[in-house]
Amino acid sequence: MIDELYRDIHSLKGTSYLFGFELMGQIAHAMESSLELVREGTHVPNRTLISALFNASEALELDLECTKIRLPNHQLSELTPSLVSGLVAAAGELQALASTVSAPAGSDPSVPQDPALAVIEKPEIRLAKEKEVEALASIRVPVSLLDKLMTLMGEMVLVRNQVLQYSNNVESLDFQTLSQRLNVVTSEIQGEMMKTRMQPIGNITSKFHRVVRDLGQELSKNITFVMEGGETELDKSLLEAIKDPLTHIVRNSCDHGIEIPEVRKKAGKPEGGSIVIRSFHEGGQVVIEIVDDGKGLNRDALVAKAVEKGIFTDAQAKNVSEKDAFNLIFAPGFSTAAKVTNVSGRGVGMDVVRTNIEKIGGSVALSSRLGKGTTIRLKIPLTLAIVPALIVNSAGNRFAIPQVKLVELLRVEGNSGSHQIETMQGVQVFRLRGEILPLLDLNRILDENHPVASDGQVVNIAVLNADNFSFGLILDEILDTADIVVKPLSRALKSLNIYSGATILGDGSVALILDVLGLAKVARITEETHASNATGRSKEIQSVHSESQDFLVFKIGSGPKHAMPLGFVHRLEEFPASQIDRTGHNRVVRYRDSILPLVTFGAAERIDSLAESHDEPVSIVVVERAGVLYGIQVDEVLDILATSVSLDRTLVQDGCIVGNLVMPDELIIVVDPFELIRSVFHADEKPASVKSVSPIHIDPSAHEILLVEDTAFFRRVVKDVLDRAGYRVTVAGDGLEASELLRATGPRFSLIISDIEMPKMNGFEFATFVRASAEHSQTPMMGLSSRFDQKYIQEAKRVGFDLYLEKMRPEVLLQSVAGLIQNRKAA
Amino acid sequence: MSHVKQLTTFFIGKDLYGIEVSWVQEVTGNLPIVKVPLAPAHVRGLINLRGQIAAAIGLRQLFGLAERSLETSSSTSSGQMSVVCKFDGNLVALLVDEIGDVMEVSSDIFEAPPKTVPPMVRRFLGGVYKTESALLSLIDVERVSEEISNVANQTENINAS
Repeated sequence: MIDELYRDIHSLKGTSYLFGFELMGQIAHAMESSLELVREGTHVPNRTLISALFNASEALELDLECTKIRLPNHQLSELTPSLVSGLVAAAGELQALASTVSAPAGSDPSVPQDPALAVIEKPEIRLAKEKEVEALASIRVPVSLLDKLMTLMGEMVLVRNQVLQYSNNVESLDFQTLSQRLNVVTSEIQGEMMKTRMQPIGNITSKFHRVVRDLGQELSKNITFVMEGGETELDKSLLEAIKDPLTHIVRNSCDHGIEIPEVRKKAGKPEGGSIVIRSFHEGGQVVIEIVDDGKGLNRDALVAKAVEKGIFTDAQAKNVSEKDAFNLIFAPGFSTAAKVTNVSGRGVGMDVVRTNIEKIGGSVALSSRLGKGTTIRLKIPLTLAIVPALIVNSAGNRFAIPQVKLVELLRVEGNSGSHQIETMQGVQVFRLRGEILPLLDLNRILDENHPVASDGQVVNIAVLNADNFSFGLILDEILDTADIVVKPLSRALKSLNIYSGATILGDGSVALILDVLGLAKVARITEETHASNATGRSKEIQSVHSESQDFLVFKIGSGPKHAMPLGFVHRLEEFPASQIDRTGHNRVVRYRDSILPLVTFGAAERIDSLAESHDEPVSIVVVERAGVLYGIQVDEVLDILATSVSLDRTLVQDGCIVGNLVMPDELIIVVDPFELIRSVFHADEKPASVKSVSPIHIDPSAHEILLVEDTAFFRRVVKDVLDRAGYRVTVAGDGLEASELLRATGPRFSLIISDIEMPKMNGFEFATFVRASAEHSQTPMMGLSSRFDQKYIQEAKRVGFDLYLEKMRPEVLLQSVAGLIQNRKAA
Repeated sequence: MSHVKQLTTFFIGKDLYGIEVSWVQEVTGNLPIVKVPLAPAHVRGLINLRGQIAAAIGLRQLFGLAERSLETSSSTSSGQMSVVCKFDGNLVALLVDEIGDVMEVSSDIFEAPPKTVPPMVRRFLGGVYKTESALLSLIDVERVSEEISNVANQTENINAS
């Protein structure tokens, strides 16, 4: 290694002098002589020497660049004496050091082994060798040529497809074998073509060894850099795009992350810090992790800074989650460094990192533990040129919509009754989970005279996201998803901002790529015209009586999907598994200012194994029960489902399971989060009044129960439970409806079960009304609510409920119902 | 001294036009054209030319001529012929009625277009070659390129005036 270096510098010196680059020659000469002793093998190079060499080679590089563009470099002439003297001094020092220890360098323990040096040397040897081999076996090819080859390749694949199709209709065996061979060869060429643009990520990370070493020295920190998975390949253009963000992150880690040796020692950590970059493939993307073992991010410090900058108020600051606080570092103008150094701290960094990564369709995630270190995870798509897209059909044309803009797909069955497209001021809207979603009809955007989709038709809607503004695009047909190659639009069409490009589909035809932002703009312009002729198109606003219930669908293990009513969900959170602690038998995680007890379905070991294996984030569904927050650990939160499918309660044995949703293509298990929490934390909890009323002898069919509940889902579940037990049940949608019903029917109910939180007239008001009326003042009343804290229980007692139960406990419900009815009889 | 040029010639209706061969990449026929909704009238759609996408420009529409009717189409082939040109790295397929020969013309027989030619057409013409068999109008490719890259409304304004 040293020999090679020496030889190179020697030839550099020779050539410089030969072509009259006097100064370059001088520097090279000094470099050469300073290395002489090292080359002889009697001396070990020290830090000063290496630095001096680096400085010298940098100056040479600079000069070379200047010479190339014919720019006089006066700097070099000024620098040369100091560079030369630096090299001489370094060499001299080396000598002095060596003369006191005349033994062979490597074996002598008293020679200070420079750890930074050791790290820096090894990869460079390897790299230098690789480079050399590579240089022999590779040629430079302009990217434009590769692009051309790629397009031709695509066309060849299409021709191949046509030939194959044709060969199926031809009898000739020879032709068939030939076309088969064409098939195989074409596929192979395609595979190899794809590789031409790929480059190992190590190509850009290799320079980080130098960056880290230099910064470490500058900041008097001892930092080692390790690259894992440097052979992971990425499209060249993407590689260029992530180079700067990656450099920034590494510099940040050196400056802010890794502490100075004294501090590390005090914290019980090894004096030398480390930065590891790991890259690997995951799910069609390349993941790059930058891990340091530095001081980590300090939530409180971040929040304090945010308050100081006016991002949060004091009150808000208390409730900022750790995740939100960490995300602050991506905010523009936000720096955690106490003072600005020339390395970093100016606060222009991380937001740029994020924008740059997002620009190429990637994402940045950050996790950190105070005192332990920080991990930044970049997810990068494999290649820029290929974009996953949805292929749709409208007005006889095919269009591609980039998947990144797509939120979800809806299919509105014309006669499903509950879900309909409505018009409002002449524009079409759709109620999506209670929110109004503006609709655009692609047919009508493309052709003003296209008729409006009539009622009763099946309508496909793609919900698209344009700059935090969602809208639904009505399409004729949703065809397929495909990875498309984006091609720029001809200049003749640049004025049309609803297209962002064009692509060639698998069958060789051209499809336009829709620009979602452009569509949104068109929509805003047309809003006015729509409003003006709204009178001509009068359509009755149809009241949608929503019978559907929203569920949060998530995955647990490999079985069928699970769901819980969305109303139960307080928040969705993600924690690194490493944040999960134990208290006694329970797992908890720190959440805001308190602890969040965690519950798992089934296998409890899973979370433990997770915690040990990886910093993988764990998805937690936070629910509130009786004023306390609980976390339910799930494998993956999948979706929100709005369905009017009724709950199938057959075959339900586990108390935690409410029933099954039988969807057209799958079965979803609906769980009762409260029951689950109860089974884990409060196994012994039972309403007191129930215990006293056994045995029970009543005839359910002799009793009619009034059920007041606004949520269709619960109405159905509770009614179902009571129906099965043999009771006759009458339902009312809210307190007002129920009170009118009571007024009309007289005292025929044996029991009134009422929800508390309802529109128009809530449960408390309703109970007050019931108790105040002469006819019903003696009818037993049961409160049934998901709000199960003391305040509510007391209030319920006060207004006259005989019993207050938590929702979704069928056995307890039935027992209590029977108990109350029997008590009434006895009275 | 006379200067000789090579022109790719084609017909639109009965008129003979020519484009300098250096602009022309190829002549193709009967490629499927994908319509682009909302595009200006002269942009007939997009064509997949061996993996590259070319905009199909209808010269009839650009020149403000009537749509080609069935009686006037002299050729028996129903296919739409196009002359594919490359302007500043942009592929453009000019849709024409019929393809003629490649002709060599000399600047001796060149003249500016007569004043009576309608301005809609004249602004795209570089001049006229008076060949023995016919009058050959030279298309000013740069002018066409400029026009189609411009905002769509311009042609309509001229039409209206």
